[in-house]
Amino acid sequence: MLNDWEKAIISEFPFQRLRRIRQLAWTDQVYPGAMHTRFEHSLGVMHTATLMYDAIKERSRQTLETELAYNSDGLGRDRQLVRLAALLHDVGHGPFSHAAEELLPNFNGGEGKYRHEQYSAAIVRSLFRDVIENHPSNANYGFKADDVASLLEGSSKAKQALFWRDLIDGQMDADRMDYLLRDSHHIGVQYGRFDLHRIIQTIEAIRIEDDGSLRIGISEGGAHAAEALVLARYFMFTQVYFHKTRVAYDVHLRGALKELLPGGVFPKPVPLGLSDYLRWEDWRVLGLLTDGKGGEHGQRLASRSHFRCIYHTPETSTLADMEELKRVKNNLGSLLAAEESASKSWYKTGTPDIRVFTESKGPLPLSKLSNVVANLKANNQVLVYVRPEYADDARKKTKRGNEKNE
Amino acid sequence: MSSLIERVGVLGYLVTSAPQRWIGRTALMKFCYFLQELRGAQLGYNFSLYSYGPFDSAVLSDLGDGEAFGVLKEDIVPYPSGFGYKISCVLEPEQLAEVGGDLLERCRADVDWIIEEFGSRSAADLELASTLVYADREALAAEEQISAAELARRVQEVKPRFNNAYILRQAESLKRKDLLLAVA
Repeated sequence: MLNDWEKAIISEFPFQRLRRIRQLAWTDQVYPGAMHTRFEHSLGVMHTATLMYDAIKERSRQTLETELAYNSDGLGRDRQLVRLAALLHDVGHGPFSHAAEELLPNFNGGEGKYRHEQYSAAIVRSLFRDVIENHPSNANYGFKADDVASLLEGSSKAKQALFWRDLIDGQMDADRMDYLLRDSHHIGVQYGRFDLHRIIQTIEAIRIEDDGSLRIGISEGGAHAAEALVLARYFMFTQVYFHKTRVAYDVHLRGALKELLPGGVFPKPVPLGLSDYLRWEDWRVLGLLTDGKGGEHGQRLASRSHFRCIYHTPETSTLADMEELKRVKNNLGSLLAAEESASKSWYKTGTPDIRVFTESKGPLPLSKLSNVVANLKANNQVLVYVRPEYADDARKKTKRGNEKNE
Repeated sequence: MSSLIERVGVLGYLVTSAPQRWIGRTALMKFCYFLQELRGAQLGYNFSLYSYGPFDSAVLSDLGDGEAFGVLKEDIVPYPSGFGYKISCVLEPEQLAEVGGDLLERCRADVDWIIEEFGSRSAADLELASTLVYADREALAAEEQISAAELARRVQEVKPRFNNAYILRQAESLKRKDLLLAVA
């Protein structure tokens, strides 16, 4: 159920903008049902985060009181804070979601890029300040927009509420749980399904063995549900998020956006840049593409003449596989149009870090209990693309014995 | 931009330089944070704060890739209060140098410094020290100048399980080594 405050927040322009940002970018080119948006996903994340919060509060109340100095009022307050943060976690997304993330500017002049979460925090501070701080419901809480932003971006200003950040952006978070189920539902596959209700029933706060910190984990009865979550991520990654054709459209979208954006990057998440940034959403990009803008990549998007994947390394690639990749790329020469790595994908599966509390042995990593998780290796596959008109020629060049002449 | 393979080489050197030639996940995460924040290593990570200190899932992703590449190995081993992770390096120094390439050459002295400074600390201490540095950098970015006591107070709000006097001692220790930039 939404309260009046949340409804007011949802009515604000930056939130309504999420209706015009597709959750899965151009995945509809592969799975035509992938037309859902960040709008309903954000509502789903708030709902799931609330279920998780309530379950942890019930199962780990004493721990929360002794370790984090919570009382009833504090828990009630932070419940609403988590709901607001979960609701607003994606307001900072660019057009077509993660496809555009590489075009966010560099962070502090270093190598790392800004992330959309940092944009979300900046937008909350600037454009949601009034509706958060001055809504009548806030008389019960006394929130500042900074409280919500600090939780989203991971700041010490979130104080003890920082514990709940894992519910929104963690190893077993509401964001992931919602999008796996939602994406599966909309595109019509079963890969992303897992038992959310069992995870909710078994979720709790656990003190881990390594540094003694308090984390969100599950009790032993939920271990197989958590295992299914890990597998859901794995299957959705290989079959949907890193599908070779879907990834090709990410390449074209990035290429087109580079042509469309001033300087080839989005504005920074500073107050003066935010209103420019928020003007970028799917409808605007589609309009520009329809007008023939976006260069070669724009044309390929409009005509579905995407780059073709003519070579890929194994899902789990060794250094020897990377050496072979170098040989292939060398052979391809100027035919090489794009190279995409699973390691750089926002959806990359990485190494799970879910803790399970057992009565007999205390906290354990999930991989200690699950053979499946223990043996699941990171996906670091690399996909190699050429223009479709050169695909046949390129495939021949990937074969051994067809080395480029020096 | 540092390449994945070179970064994995740096992680391998970090692990193999540790006193016991292996480390847990907390140490890996916090050492990477210190490498970037205290030594300016260009690893491309984007850390943000959790209740357990600065964290970037990209470090765990690189760990997974390191295992896939046959550079790192992760086992589950008993800890005093349960089971946890043990990360070790599989390669010999010459092989590691090849994998780590130019990035490792640039970072080698920084890694040595990190291990000397923090290598013997417990995971809990690393968590606390890294959180102090993170909060300090937040104050710096906000152009604040604060006392060690104020920094300790802010960190204790995130980590109430730590005794304030203990946090303050840690903050003062970091200050003495000129590792805190916003603390007067």
